[in-house]
Amino acid sequence: MLRVSSTAIAIVLLAASLCAQDAAPIDQKTLELLVQQVKALQQETSDLREKVTKLEAERVTAPSVGLASPAAPAVEPPAAQPSPATAEVAPPQSSPELTGAIHDLHGIQWRGFGELDYQALNQRQPELATYGFVPGSAGNFYTGDFDLFLHSRLTEKTSVLADITFEEGDAQSYKLDLRQALLRYEMNDHLKISFGRYQTAIGYYNTAFRSAVWLQTTADRPLIMEYASNGGLLPTQAVGVVLTGSIPSGKLGLNYVAEYGSSDTVRPDLNGSGILNDENDGNHVLVGWFARPDWAPGLQLGGSFFHDKISDSEISLSDRFGQTILNSYVVYVGHGFESLNEVFLIRETQLSTGTVFNMPAFYSQISRRWGHVRPFVRYQYINASEQGTLFNDVGFRAGPSFGARYDFNDWIAFKAQLDHTQRDDLPDLDGLHLQVAFTF
Amino acid sequence: MNGRSILILLLTFFATLAFTPTAVAQRDVAVIVPPENPVTNLTRGDLRKLLNGEKRTWPSGAAVKIIVRAPGCRERAVLLKFLNQSESDYKQYWTAQVVRGEADAEPFVSPSLGMVIEAVRVLPGAISLVSVGDLKPGVKVVKIDGLLPGAEGYPLH
Repeated sequence: MLRVSSTAIAIVLLAASLCAQDAAPIDQKTLELLVQQVKALQQETSDLREKVTKLEAERVTAPSVGLASPAAPAVEPPAAQPSPATAEVAPPQSSPELTGAIHDLHGIQWRGFGELDYQALNQRQPELATYGFVPGSAGNFYTGDFDLFLHSRLTEKTSVLADITFEEGDAQSYKLDLRQALLRYEMNDHLKISFGRYQTAIGYYNTAFRSAVWLQTTADRPLIMEYASNGGLLPTQAVGVVLTGSIPSGKLGLNYVAEYGSSDTVRPDLNGSGILNDENDGNHVLVGWFARPDWAPGLQLGGSFFHDKISDSEISLSDRFGQTILNSYVVYVGHGFESLNEVFLIRETQLSTGTVFNMPAFYSQISRRWGHVRPFVRYQYINASEQGTLFNDVGFRAGPSFGARYDFNDWIAFKAQLDHTQRDDLPDLDGLHLQVAFTF
Repeated sequence: MNGRSILILLLTFFATLAFTPTAVAQRDVAVIVPPENPVTNLTRGDLRKLLNGEKRTWPSGAAVKIIVRAPGCRERAVLLKFLNQSESDYKQYWTAQVVRGEADAEPFVSPSLGMVIEAVRVLPGAISLVSVGDLKPGVKVVKIDGLLPGAEGYPLH
């Protein structure tokens, strides 16, 4: 029994020793591996700590580079790789609430404009043939234009713009006019292409205020910038293609506009006689530019050249005129101050005879806001030739307008305006224009 | 040392604190964009054009998305001061921009600072203004004319 036990013990000891002899090299190998791993982890940890320390230090210094030492020169981070000095990279976190809110920017954007007017003149003949101004009455209420602006972004670069106007005519009748319907593709800031019906870029006023009376300081547009359908002289609208964009010009802030389209214009005589002058315009070309210099925020300088061929329907449709319209302007809007100044030269050349009619015009408008009140003064001048028949109803007109705009809030404004107009062969015209303009 | 001297000393002490660069810098407002926007510096003119919607795309091609704080917030006041506009001028300006087709809508008005930061993180073309003291990780501060907030001549404060 003892021998068996001794043998068993010997076997066990031998086995244990063998196992021990086998186990020793395994542990050593494992240990070596572990040591290597520990060293690698230590190195990695050290690197990470270093990075974290650097990030934390620079996160603090990024906004506070100037905090600690405002005079310290700022380090320009590389453009391609945002430096931690100015950037804290974090994986974008998507928030359904926020995404939903931002998506609300898309869809159809509506904006409405309306007006209620009372206009009184010191004569019983309408000055314009529209707006329900009843001959025989020296004063009338009217609602002018009721505009609905629609804007919808179809894709990141494509959008649609429309201006639907309900324009008041005689006897409280309303005419529907699609004043703008544009499909626009924006390649980048340097090239935007629009197709459809647009407001021609003759002058600043036509494109800056569109049909929105609420945006205007004054109760009405200067006559030279009045819509042709209301008796204005210029082709204010056309159908075609428009190219616009900025020109790389540094601090000068140059922009261009080019148009090619048809502006078939029909304008009524100003005296309410009911005569319509259909100009039967051919396709027009417009090239314009404007600058918004960085060194004078609020200042805009510009000009345009417009050319097409028209007929005088009162004479003969086959008797064509070459029509060239030159415009330049200087506008400043800022610090509550507004100064609009535009000069025009309308040049009509009768192609059959070579007779040239030059018709200069300008307006200048200044206003200043004090709280809710914005007093304004405007002077306008038109010297249309009475020898031709295109604008013989206009002739010479010049005179000042005074008034004030009072903004009740961000949506409703009241305007009061006094006009005095000198006219050739006609008595001076005085008028009072009251208006409530609103947006919604 | 009498009471008046102590009062003068205290006033001097607090005045010094008030006008230290750190305090001045804390009043500055930073222009922030997403970290992946490669732009690191803007001129005042560029910033003005971005904030008033004249410049509508970044050099990378991403559409500019302006995030603004609601009326009454400091960042809003600094924005209006920078653009030389009153609150009503600003609203009228953006109405005109929409009418002209120069903008889809008025800039997105964020009701909270957290939403501004998150919007700038999420939207690739976003730009906004945030007071230096309210900056959070995950956005990039852009220099204006080479100046970071707190530097002398920094325009947004």
